[in-house]
Amino acid sequence: MSDMTNGGLFSVPGLRRLRVMTQKELLQLFRDVALMVFFLYSFTGDIYLAASGVSMQLKNAAIATLDADYSFASRELASRFQPPYFQPAGSVADARQAIRRLDDGDVMAVLDVPPRFQERLQRGEQVSVQLQVDTSNSVLGFLASSYGAQIVGKYALEAAAQREGLAAAGGIAGPVVEADTRVWYNPNQNDAWFMGISELLTVVTLFSILLPAAAMVREKERGTIEQLMVTPLTSFQILFPKVVAMTLVILAGSAIALFGVLGPLFQLPMRGSLVTFFLITALYVFTTAGLGLLAATVARNLAQVGMLTVVILMPMLLLSGAWTPIEAMPPWMRGLAWISPLHYFLDAAYGILLKGVGMDLLWDSVLAMGGLGIVVFAAGMRRFGRQFG
Amino acid sequence: MSAPAIRVEDFIKRYGKRVAADGLALTVQRGEIYGLVGADGAGKSSLMKSVAGVLAHDGGTVEVFGTVIDSERAAEKVKQRIGFLPQGLGLNLYPDLSIEENVDFFGRLRGVPGAKLAERKNMLLGMTRLDAFRSRPMRQLSGGMKQKLGLVCTLIHEPELVILDEPTTGVDPVSRRDFWAILGKLLEEKGITALVSTAYLDEADRFHRVSLFHEGKVMGEGTPAELIARVPGTLALFRAEPQADALPRLKAQFPQTEAMGAWLRVFAEGLDAAQARAAVDTCLAASAPADTTIHLSDWFAREPELEDVFVAMLRQRGARLNTSLPADAPAAAPTSTLAIEATGLTRVFGDFRAADAVSFAVPQGEIFGLLGANGAGKTTVIKMLTGILKPSSGAGRVAGADMRSAGLAIKERIGYMSQAFSLYHDLSVVENIRLYAGIYGLDDRRARQRSDWVIGMAGLAGFENDAAGRLPMGLRQRLALGCALVHEPRVLFLDEPTSGVDPIGRRMFWDILFHLSRREGVAILVTTHYMSEAEHCDHLALMFAGRVVADASPEAMKQALIASAGQLLELRVDRPVPAQNALRDAGFANVALHGRAVHLLSREADTDRERLPALLDKAGIAVQSVGLRPLSMEDVFVQRITALEDAGRRSP
Repeated sequence: MSDMTNGGLFSVPGLRRLRVMTQKELLQLFRDVALMVFFLYSFTGDIYLAASGVSMQLKNAAIATLDADYSFASRELASRFQPPYFQPAGSVADARQAIRRLDDGDVMAVLDVPPRFQERLQRGEQVSVQLQVDTSNSVLGFLASSYGAQIVGKYALEAAAQREGLAAAGGIAGPVVEADTRVWYNPNQNDAWFMGISELLTVVTLFSILLPAAAMVREKERGTIEQLMVTPLTSFQILFPKVVAMTLVILAGSAIALFGVLGPLFQLPMRGSLVTFFLITALYVFTTAGLGLLAATVARNLAQVGMLTVVILMPMLLLSGAWTPIEAMPPWMRGLAWISPLHYFLDAAYGILLKGVGMDLLWDSVLAMGGLGIVVFAAGMRRFGRQFG
Repeated sequence: MSAPAIRVEDFIKRYGKRVAADGLALTVQRGEIYGLVGADGAGKSSLMKSVAGVLAHDGGTVEVFGTVIDSERAAEKVKQRIGFLPQGLGLNLYPDLSIEENVDFFGRLRGVPGAKLAERKNMLLGMTRLDAFRSRPMRQLSGGMKQKLGLVCTLIHEPELVILDEPTTGVDPVSRRDFWAILGKLLEEKGITALVSTAYLDEADRFHRVSLFHEGKVMGEGTPAELIARVPGTLALFRAEPQADALPRLKAQFPQTEAMGAWLRVFAEGLDAAQARAAVDTCLAASAPADTTIHLSDWFAREPELEDVFVAMLRQRGARLNTSLPADAPAAAPTSTLAIEATGLTRVFGDFRAADAVSFAVPQGEIFGLLGANGAGKTTVIKMLTGILKPSSGAGRVAGADMRSAGLAIKERIGYMSQAFSLYHDLSVVENIRLYAGIYGLDDRRARQRSDWVIGMAGLAGFENDAAGRLPMGLRQRLALGCALVHEPRVLFLDEPTSGVDPIGRRMFWDILFHLSRREGVAILVTTHYMSEAEHCDHLALMFAGRVVADASPEAMKQALIASAGQLLELRVDRPVPAQNALRDAGFANVALHGRAVHLLSREADTDRERLPALLDKAGIAVQSVGLRPLSMEDVFVQRITALEDAGRRSP
């Protein structure tokens, strides 16, 4: 039977349907005060906190000294543990007290200098010092021990040079290899940029799953979904406007985070094309929203949506490389990372914002993300169709 | 004399800005079954919760057994003497516990000692006929059984006062009757006072005295008979041809005129039977245009029902019954085209047949009612016909096309309104209408026109920019109807469209449906659990356990019942419970308790009228009056289903 008024997807009524449905989603979203407050906070306050507060750098780690030598050399070595990395926190009398202060969390490290340290050094004997480090936070512990090793190593080199008579003003007058590092993309090694972008991507991911899933399950709860099923709308016409509306809103949120928080307050450079960045973000939101819709076909109420969002979000974050480089994961997890859309989005976002790269380098990430998106959205439509068809 | 069970004065309760109860007053004497009757949001629940001591009120006095409930501590003092069953089917019970575990839990919660608990539990479970299912988890019970279990748990500590908030809402008529019978017996035997609310006006005669609630106010208090006597008048039932012309004329003079299928129902306020007949004749003759004459036939006049009186009271307070439908639109030409045709529709979920070979046909322009208890399969049938659910077998043709193969085009010819009035609560009235206009592909000009039509039809002028969720139930319901009509469908499906709506709202709603069917030729399929509403339909199909077990006009169904089981007799007596027992012993199968009266079906009504008072007199029961009552659809429903259930038990 030919069909005059229903028309195809891109006929006038078809497009009008997409338009009114998208408008409806936006109106409903803007009227949900609690959700809007959460949304605005996440794209401003939360990103501000992440960028300014959270740091993976070692700063002012308290260090105590257990000095059994009381010599010029031992004091010289201890005095080299200084801010910004370390903060001297007095001395301890014996090993037991050292352990207690570590246990209390009162100090993060204890430098243990053995007796006859200076004497043996001057005699040219091998001598070792011990650095006890609290590594319950493994990253900070690792940093403290490596910085500590660096300080001790440098001191040892200077002590040796002095003994051999190679000391010169401001360095060593002998055959030494200097490692000269060039820091690219983030020359001041500003944590705020990395943490800020990483948090932005996390928040984008969260809302890409949550918003469409919440919108969908609200229709299920209220029974409006049945009302829509008896109208001439196709599954696509019901689901796609939700994704479009949520994508628009999340892009707006990202713009607020970039131009309202990370740009003016943390001087994020945004080196690449912002148009590309927002296009890729849109693609990413579309891909992830598919996961949200898939979740909504399983969930029966808003509380379940909340739980499912966490269940989806956590592995996505862990597998994406946002917290640990993919190369450091065991091989089977590395395989899973390739199907996490966030992995590609991270590549693209850091690439554009910090490195200034363009589509010529990012096309493969974009292609992979688009492919994942289509598969996930199709799966969501299929499940939706089965439930209500 | 001891203090009354409940005394309420100037009761005020607000929720934010909304006033739920505005100066309510009532007194419940000990041993009384007192009814609060009114629609959703009339203030019944607020009052009941305050009496039960679980909700603080904002003004006035609430006294229970002489104790003023003004603090947590005061409420604690009387709580042991009260049993409270909150609204909602089984909401206070634990779904994963069995019947017995639920009862035990409530017993121990109330500190009932072990031996007493066992004894009462056996007695109560026996009376409610739940003892066969002791170990069944509560979530697997039917609505009626859940309510009975709720009642048992409420009575387990032998309270002196029970507060039951809408115990029969959502329960099918058979279980509802059963519930009232058990309640009446229990209260009588134990001398318990009961405060019970209901949204069904036709349940008012189950109470000794009632308060009629409307929008936070009491409209009237007294025995059902006293209340009916408060607005004198005559209820006239008759046929008039052509009906669609007669209705608007009569409505102009008698605002309380309704179409009930092929019949007209007029409440002539302040007139006796003869005056009413004369007034109706004059009205029809005087206003008829030259070329049409209206023929009146089959005239019956009788006492009005409580609902007629309630609506009259509301009108006296300024309520309007009019919608802005054009009264003079031409009647739709009668057609024999079938709008809906179900043939052998079946839907199987696992090994459960939700719909089993359902067949019926609805011509264009007819109002067709699908009646049945919860779970009988009504919603499943509607879902299959609207294309939400695929039938396992059988076919449904709607507006001339097979639902399975017709695709999306067919959906433009049907409108659907679901149980929940599924509107977008956070969108305004206009936004909801425009949304559906857009979904149905109407262009902007058409969308504006139809939006104006919906607002006029539903009486929504002035509410255009209010959020749909904040509208009163009646308006929300008509908005949902408007949204289902925005694209002018030829077939309209309504799934329980009047749940929770007040009588005025329900009348306006049926007026609109009548207009649609008679003037615009729309075919309407409606499901309802308000048995009184079934009488509005031209044709009914009664569903039981997924099957259609009767398919006829309401009138034909009643005639069939009279032929098979007899006429309905009402006896007003001084002691209804012993009277009920005596009549059962005398061999009457269908004896039901209605407040101070007893109803029964009698094959020889004339002889029984003479002989029953003497029979009861022998048992020491005084009969005040005996009279014939018109059968209601509920009588028909209960009779048919009980017969089927009995047959099912005999041949499993």
